[in-house]
Amino acid sequence: MKRFVLGSVVSFGLFAVVWEAFARSGLFSSALSPSLTVILPALVQMVVKGTIFIHIGYTLYRILWGLGLAALVGVPIGILMGRSKAAERFMLPLVSVLSPIPSLAWVPLFILWFGLGDAASVALVFYAATFPIILNAWTGVRSVNRVWIRSAETMGAGRRDLFQKVVLPGSLPFIIAGLRQAFARSWIAVVGGEMIAATNWGLGWVIFDSKEFLRTDVMLSTLVVIGLLGLGFERFIFQAVERRTVGRWGMVRSVGT
Amino acid sequence: MFRTPTAFYLRRAALSLAQLALPFVVVAILWEGFALFGPFPPRLFPRISAIAAAFVRLIVTGILPLHAAETLLRLAAGFGLGAVVGLIVGMLMGRYRWAEDLLVPVVSVGNPIPGLAYAPLFVLWFGLGNLPAVLLVGFSATFPVVVNTWTGVKSVKSIWIRAAETMGATDRQLFRKVVLPGALPYVLTGLRLGLARAWRVLIAVEMLTSVSLGLGWLIFGAREYLNTDVMLAGIAVIGIVGLALEKLVFERIEQYTVVRWGMLQR
Repeated sequence: MKRFVLGSVVSFGLFAVVWEAFARSGLFSSALSPSLTVILPALVQMVVKGTIFIHIGYTLYRILWGLGLAALVGVPIGILMGRSKAAERFMLPLVSVLSPIPSLAWVPLFILWFGLGDAASVALVFYAATFPIILNAWTGVRSVNRVWIRSAETMGAGRRDLFQKVVLPGSLPFIIAGLRQAFARSWIAVVGGEMIAATNWGLGWVIFDSKEFLRTDVMLSTLVVIGLLGLGFERFIFQAVERRTVGRWGMVRSVGT
Repeated sequence: MFRTPTAFYLRRAALSLAQLALPFVVVAILWEGFALFGPFPPRLFPRISAIAAAFVRLIVTGILPLHAAETLLRLAAGFGLGAVVGLIVGMLMGRYRWAEDLLVPVVSVGNPIPGLAYAPLFVLWFGLGNLPAVLLVGFSATFPVVVNTWTGVKSVKSIWIRAAETMGATDRQLFRKVVLPGALPYVLTGLRLGLARAWRVLIAVEMLTSVSLGLGWLIFGAREYLNTDVMLAGIAVIGIVGLALEKLVFERIEQYTVVRWGMLQR
């Protein structure tokens, strides 16, 4: 742990030095590659004025709607596919054709259908998030140990009990993994969507808008915020959820790190 | 019931084909119904016949293949760049402790930033056109390759390395005959993830850096003229290419290497 902290300090320090050298080398003009002494104040100003929080709020709002809807639709479909052969036969071809299409390819069409603004971004996040959720829930249900299902049946569990007490908890590690993947994809989709289906708030939009004013300092500070938020969600929220549920039930070893 | 085995197999093949087609038929019917009776005018929500017609027209006139070729070329250049850099960095991180200590923090912060977020910056730095697109694709593809190569090299059993060393393997032999094949399953996964990411970023970045040809640009440009049929035909091609990359390229490579060596079950 100590070694990791020390490594991180040295690592980011070195990275900062390299950036500073690059910024001051005159390879690009200082408007294009601002030095840290310009980036940091820009970041501080965005925090003090509170604009960054509004942008974060809008971006998270879009992600949560899209991801929430995707989970509401995707988890039942995935579980159904895992439980019923007919559903699997029907859904699998559709899912495997649609899921390799990058969500951002739909942006221009979604703009025409839903107009500029929130709805297009939410639809985009929904598209990006649904397929990993479906595929993982499906795999999860199929991976539930047969013996557990049979023994529950032998002990007289009804369909509902079987589902609530065996299938759902049994497939939960995969469902959570699916949500995690879906979040990573939504994160990409929302930033891209906000750039193209621009409104006037959102982290992707700030970056794109700053280009017009050559505010590379704002762009870079926003990039840092995006990276930290992404890492924070991954590290704190998803890992905490895993630790509370599947980790505690002893279904996956070594949650964390 | 079945006189000959051939008839049996034919019937079974026909049945499974019908099963495969059924979901698409249902979706097509829903789509047509929505196009005819839905709230959108046909310009915004074209019928399937219009999409198919646009698809055929674009292929016959050679427009679609031209765009697709350009996109694939860009993908190859960008992904090649990202893969080479990613492999080297990942190997370094796996073999040397100092490289690992230095790079893990940077990689773990850089990895969750969507590659696309850098697009405006890359446009300012490298201008519009091909260069920023290729560099950005390479940059986004690098991260999964680095992470997986690093994991792969670290997962090579140390007993294999020790055994090879005991038998007098040189550094180079050790690398070529033990570390590289041992890490290959992970490396391939990394390349696969990297390619998927490169593909996703490429389509979007083509919309932003105004390249002259490319599938992303085709879709984005079609919006200006409300050519939704062209857009949907373009999306279909993107899906097909994406599926083909996954199925034909990577499953084949896996089949010939790690599956054949018995390192991975399929």
